[in-house]
Amino acid sequence: MEGLERYRGIVQDFERFVEAMAAPLPVTARINTLKTDRDGLFCRLKEAKVAFWPFSWYPFGFSLDVEKPGNLIENLMGHIHVQEEISMASPIILAPKPGERVLDMCAAPGSKTTQIASIMENRGLLVANDPANNRVASLRSNCERAGAINVVVTRYDGRRFPSSKFDRILVDAPCTGQGMARKDFSVLGRWSLKRSLGLQRLQRGLLERATDLVKPGGTVVYSTCTFAPEENEAVVSWVAERVPQIGIGKVSIPGLESSPGLAEWNGHIFGDEMKECVRYYPHQNDTGGFFVAKLIKE
Amino acid sequence: MSQSSLKNRSPFSLLDRAAVVELMESRFGIPPAAFENVSFYRRGRNVWAFSLPEIPNLRCESVGLRFISVRGRVPKPTTYALQLFGRFATKNSIALSTDQAEKFIAGEGQRLDAEVEDGYVVVSYRGDVLGCGLYTRGELASQLPKERRIMNEVRKNCLSDGDCR
Ligand SMILES: C[S@@+](CC[C@H](N)C(=O)[O-])C[C@H]1O[C@@H](n2cnc3c(N)ncnc32)[C@H](O)[C@@H]1O
Repeated sequence: MEGLERYRGIVQDFERFVEAMAAPLPVTARINTLKTDRDGLFCRLKEAKVAFWPFSWYPFGFSLDVEKPGNLIENLMGHIHVQEEISMASPIILAPKPGERVLDMCAAPGSKTTQIASIMENRGLLVANDPANNRVASLRSNCERAGAINVVVTRYDGRRFPSSKFDRILVDAPCTGQGMARKDFSVLGRWSLKRSLGLQRLQRGLLERATDLVKPGGTVVYSTCTFAPEENEAVVSWVAERVPQIGIGKVSIPGLESSPGLAEWNGHIFGDEMKECVRYYPHQNDTGGFFVAKLIKE
Repeated sequence: MSQSSLKNRSPFSLLDRAAVVELMESRFGIPPAAFENVSFYRRGRNVWAFSLPEIPNLRCESVGLRFISVRGRVPKPTTYALQLFGRFATKNSIALSTDQAEKFIAGEGQRLDAEVEDGYVVVSYRGDVLGCGLYTRGELASQLPKERRIMNEVRKNCLSDGDCR
């Protein structure tokens, strides 16, 4: 598989990794607790004879045996949101609280925005930002369906987001998306080192701005759905070095298998603290691929 | 209605909460307590619900949830507003059977007898709110936004009898 060979040295069970990358992704969804509860939703699915399997690591996620989950009435009512399993990880690491001020810097189409809104119980402020005109429509539509009343949608370039202060910020950055290959195989063919390095500049700018916008004591979570260290550890370690008030926090979700972030890659030294970040590989939890880092401001 | 001071010349203006809460209470019997943490704004011909009594000083595309349309003669709650707060309704609410729900989610109108006043109603199925309907002289018209409707082929297997609530 194109572009994956470069990860042979860092991925354990490389053959299983490649095999998992070739298999289709399970259909998964998240329960929208703004509109329903777990018991009520699971009861409805049982009566509708929809087979489903709750995640072991997250009570509000489940996989289901439906070809088009978007056509379920539960989706129409906004009781569920169809979302890839591993993408539910970053809002959990972000751990927002009801009443806080939170920024979702790269928000469209809003899978994580709506998850954050439900963790915040529709209270406080959640700014969902995305400059892409064509993607903001689906962001707004998903927020409406979820019944989010604490969301404000803005369209700034995240690098120039106006001065304000937030308790928590999620930077779910644009990336080369290799981890999504199970959904769209063509991402692998489109990957090049040049694209990774081009995105790296943008990612560094976004994450650095986020560290300005977060309050002292606040948390910034950086995530991507790619394996390329250029877009992961090379971004986080660069920002942590430039911004002295920033420390790296440990990322861990009980029940999800993961690998530590890389302390070095191809001769580039990122530092041991990058091992506090996590890499989720597709063969570990039968999901897409993902990288998550947690930055804490002094 | 008072104009809040907004540096970004926001087109949103704060509304008197009481007026909106009272509207929801008089039409649907929803207790005011349901809106305890909600503020209301007007922008153009819509009332929006938002979690805070102040709009952040940002160039906002949208603030909160589109809640009531005041375009027509009678204020019309959005399907999203009713999906969120309709479960607290004590009147002007219609529970549909499976056959009726099929028509409703396909966006079709239907004749049915219901003990409601003419006007906008909360429409539910198996204890959960589907959205907004318009009831006039024995006829229920679905007000589901087009992009939320579910057509023939698929709706068959998405409905089932039973009572989870
Ligand atoms: C991985 S996607 C976000 C997915 C989203 N968080 C979700 O869970 O549904 C990355 C997003 O970053 C946005 N983006 C691109 N350039 C940006 C910039 N300069 N500032 C902020 N966001 C940007 C893209 O439009 C895209 O929607």
